[in-house]
This record gives sequence, C-alpha cells and structure tokens, in this order.
Amino acid sequence: MRALAANLEEVFREAAARWTLVAWFALSTLFVGIFAAAVNLDIVDGALAGVKLFGKTVDIAGRKVDVDRLVLGFESGFSAILYLVGTFLAVFATAHLVPRLQEKGTIDLYLSRPVGRVPLLLSRFLSGLLLAAANVFYLIVSIWLIVGWKTSVWDPRLLSGGGIILFAITTLLAFAFLVGVVTSSTAVSIMVTYGLFFLSSILAAHEKIEAALSSKWSAGLVRALYWILPKTAQLGQAVVTLVSDGHSFRRAPALDPFAVYGTTALFALVSLALASWLFSRKDF
Amino acid sequence: MPSPAVELDSLTKVYRAGLGGRRVTALSAVDLKVERGEVFGLLGPNGAGKTTAVKVLLGLTFPTAGAARLLGIPSTDRESRRRVGYLPEGHRFPGYLTARQTLSVFGRMSGVGPADLKRRIPVLLERLRIAEWADVRVKRFSKGMTQRLGLASALVHEPKVLLLDEPTDGVDPVGRREIRDLLREEAAKGTTVLLNSHLLSEIELTCDRVAVLRKGTVAAEGRIADLTRTSPRYRLCLAATPVEPALLESFRSTGALVDSVNGHFELTVRDVTHLNALVDRVRAAGGEIEELSPLRSSLEDVFVELVKSPGEREEKPS
Repeated sequence: MRALAANLEEVFREAAARWTLVAWFALSTLFVGIFAAAVNLDIVDGALAGVKLFGKTVDIAGRKVDVDRLVLGFESGFSAILYLVGTFLAVFATAHLVPRLQEKGTIDLYLSRPVGRVPLLLSRFLSGLLLAAANVFYLIVSIWLIVGWKTSVWDPRLLSGGGIILFAITTLLAFAFLVGVVTSSTAVSIMVTYGLFFLSSILAAHEKIEAALSSKWSAGLVRALYWILPKTAQLGQAVVTLVSDGHSFRRAPALDPFAVYGTTALFALVSLALASWLFSRKDF
Repeated sequence: MPSPAVELDSLTKVYRAGLGGRRVTALSAVDLKVERGEVFGLLGPNGAGKTTAVKVLLGLTFPTAGAARLLGIPSTDRESRRRVGYLPEGHRFPGYLTARQTLSVFGRMSGVGPADLKRRIPVLLERLRIAEWADVRVKRFSKGMTQRLGLASALVHEPKVLLLDEPTDGVDPVGRREIRDLLREEAAKGTTVLLNSHLLSEIELTCDRVAVLRKGTVAAEGRIADLTRTSPRYRLCLAATPVEPALLESFRSTGALVDSVNGHFELTVRDVTHLNALVDRVRAAGGEIEELSPLRSSLEDVFVELVKSPGEREEKPS
C-alpha cells in the first residue's frame, strides 16, 4: 500500500507540475466562469423570474416548454460536448504516463524497488483515471450547481452521465496504456487511441456498411470489428439520452446494454490485461 | 554460512535484435559470487555484459538460462530487491520533485515507514552534502548533485547490498573522495557494494575484489593485488653503466624478456628461480646491483591486456 500511495502521489505531483494538466483545469475553470456569468445576464434572470411568477413553463418561439425539460435539454447538450472533449482531453493529458515510465534511466529507479510490475502499471492507470475523473466531475458538478442554483431544478441525471463519460475514458485509457507499453511513445499512444475512437464511431453504422460491401469476408470483418471494439458512439448517445430522458436506452431501443457496456468493458479489461502481461514480461 | 550477497549461477542472457532478428549473447554462462560485506568491482569494455548482469540481478531483464540471486533470494522474486539499493547510470529522477520528496517517494516504494523517513532523510541529505538543496526541485540540480541524490535514494531504505553504476560520474575530485569514503563506511557496516565503473583508478582505490567481463564471459576474477601481480616483472638497476651487450644477450638466451627503459632494465622472467639465475650472471660478469624490485601492473594494464582479443595479447617469456 505504501508503494501504491507513493506512486499515486508522484503522478499527482507531476500533474501539478505539468502545463497540460494545469491548462486542462484552467480551461475548465474558464468555461465554468463564462457559464456562471452567462446565466447571470438580465435576459436569463428575466426569463427565470417569469417562470417563478407564472408557473414552471417558458415561452420559446411561441411554444410552451416545461422548465425542467429545458434544463435537462441544456444539460444533455452540455454532456454531449463534455463526452467528446472530456475523453479527448483525458487521453491527451494522461497517455504519457506509461511511455515516460518506460524511459531509460527512469524505469530502473522504479523496478529496482520491491514493487511488482503489474501493481506499478495499475497504480499509474488508477492515477490517470483519478486525474481524469477529477476534471470531468469538476466540470459536471460546477455546471450542475450553477444550473440548480439558478433554476432550482436539481435532477441528478447529469451527474450520472459523468459515470458513463468516465467509463468511456477508462476504456480509452486502458487502450492507450496498451499502446504505450508496446511502443513506449506518447505521440503514438494518443494518435492510435484517437484513431480507435473514430473507427469505432464509424462502426456504429456497421449494418449499413456490411450491406454496402460485396464481399462476405469484408462484411464479416466489419461485423467482427464492431463486436470487438468499444462502442464509443453509442456511449455518447447513452450519455445524452440518460441526461435528457432519464434512461440511457429508452430513446434508442436498438441499443442493447450488453452490446454497448458489456463489449466495451470486455475490450477495456482485455486491453489492460494485455498491457499488464506485456509489461510484466518486458526486458528493460 | 550465509548465502552470498550477489550470486550469478551459469547466467546466460540472449537478446533478439528486432522482430525475428539475429540473437545477441550478452552473457554466456557467467558464474560470480560476491560475499557479504565485500566491495566488488565489475569491469569490462562497452558491451561486455556488465549492465545486463546488474539488470538481471534487479529483475529489469529476465535471464535466458541460469539464475541470479540477491542475498539468497532469486532475482525474479521482488522481495530480493527489498534490501538492495541501486544507482543506475544516467538515472532520471522526476524533475518536478524536490530532493526531499524524491527520497520520500522512493523510500516508501521500498517499504520505509513515515517515521523512519522523517528521521533518515535529513541525515542522508546532510551526509551527501545536499541538505541546503533539500526543498529545491531536482530539475535545477547539477550533474554532481543529482548523482549525490541518486546515492541518497539508493541508501534511504538502509540496504544490505548496493549496486552502483558509475557512482562518481559528474562528481568533482573532492566529491569523489567523499563518495569513496561513504562506500567504505557502508562496507564497514557490513553492506555489500557492487561497483560498476569505467574509472579503473576509482575501482583500484575502492574495491577488494574485481571481475573483468569480456564478451559476456568472466575473463578474470580475484583480488586486485593478485591480478596486478600476475606478470613476474622486475626492475633492475645496475651501478656500472653502460652494460655489456653480451650480458643482456645471455639474459635473453635463458628465455627472459629484457627491455631497456630510462637507464634501467625491466626483466620479465618465469619465476623467482629464473630471476636468481639472472642475478648470478650479473655477479659473474662483475656487475653491481643497485636496485631490484618487483614491477606491479596497474589495474588498467591488466584490464587492457584482458580485454584484448587473443591475437593481440602481449608476448610471454618462454
């Protein structure tokens, strides 16, 4: 436990000293600040005062809209942006953890201590995840508090959406660690992980792609890739439907929870297990 | 009897160069024992296998065949590293940590508790003369200071074995002497020190025994005094010069090698009997001996001779 705690502390100290992470939190704070200022504009205050006086509906382009639906609509839009930006920034800010550890002159310092290789790698993974979670929830909780304070709508769905975003980050980070162990390159880890994100998003339309392919073999390959790779597009969709409707799959009945969460979790587990196995057998 | 501090048992390491590439043998059936409390030097030219041997001992690299043990525990068991301090060559401590934080992080990784760390860190920083820089980030340290911090980090968990790769690299002459003294102090406390260095003078001044690796095998091993005495050479000064060429020819006719160096002679003989026979010839020729003393090779001479390929070796007396 002492070794694990020391490793976590070291990663967090590095995070504090690195500009990428400082910038990450600074940008988040700037966003929260701008949002807080925007909701304090007279026009917003006026609309909200009207809502308080005349009941829980607002008039938007001649249509009466329930204020709860309006808030959740805003929050689901925000969660969609956060899903995309949060996962990309998390990978960008933590993908260096393994390549930097494996550098000559650095790895010797760690492995010459009585620390197992797998616990060392997993403690780095946990540290990266904690950093990403801290940032995602910093943004989500800040926005949720501001919106709740201004509208008195305290629906916890946005907070639950953060769980799915973190699940996606966990999966991508596990894959980035695997690439990092194999290549020892931060740049390659980032590029390949972003590539995976886009490829698996395209594969969300695998049925249409399969139908367009003339070769059975190619169609089979696309289907196999769809089932093997994480479901990044569907997870994004799940975040939005969870925040707006309260159920991640109600609006999208075609989404099978096992197909989305199960195969994605399996991909993350296999990536992490493979990264641990390779790291434990590597000659430095 | 306790197990040796460091033990390599028919250790072989073969690397593969690239995917399916040729096999490179870094270590070939190396046997080596370093007893507890010894200060031992591991020598060899670049690529001889010194670093690979140390990496196998620390579990950084896995052996192809044979075994490596630290304090009797196989190197594949991480417990073998609990009482081992290591200073790698070209180490890179995280630049964002201060010296104090570095020792705290790596001390805890070796299982040292907070109370012990609180007591040991200031003592170590003082001992390595970096106490004034305790709260300065490592990225601001000079090479010599980083090296001192590396030593402090290797000592923070009070190890029983120290594996040091070029510990005086980048350190000024005064600092080198301080590090030598520190290693001697550690050895006096019973710590085993395995020193891996290219600085043969440092090894000569610090170590009790050495092993010379050459192309992945042990070319020589023993006490420095024994290794540097391997060549039976003597310095001979005669009172009456010039010396008769016939006398030197008579030396050579016995199989001795004779070199004239700055007014004296260097004789390479088979043994003491052979030497006495030459002395008899000097006396018989009416010569007077002013000085006769054994010539010791420096460790560097022995090293250079050992790492040469067989065809390049120096001629021996017949």
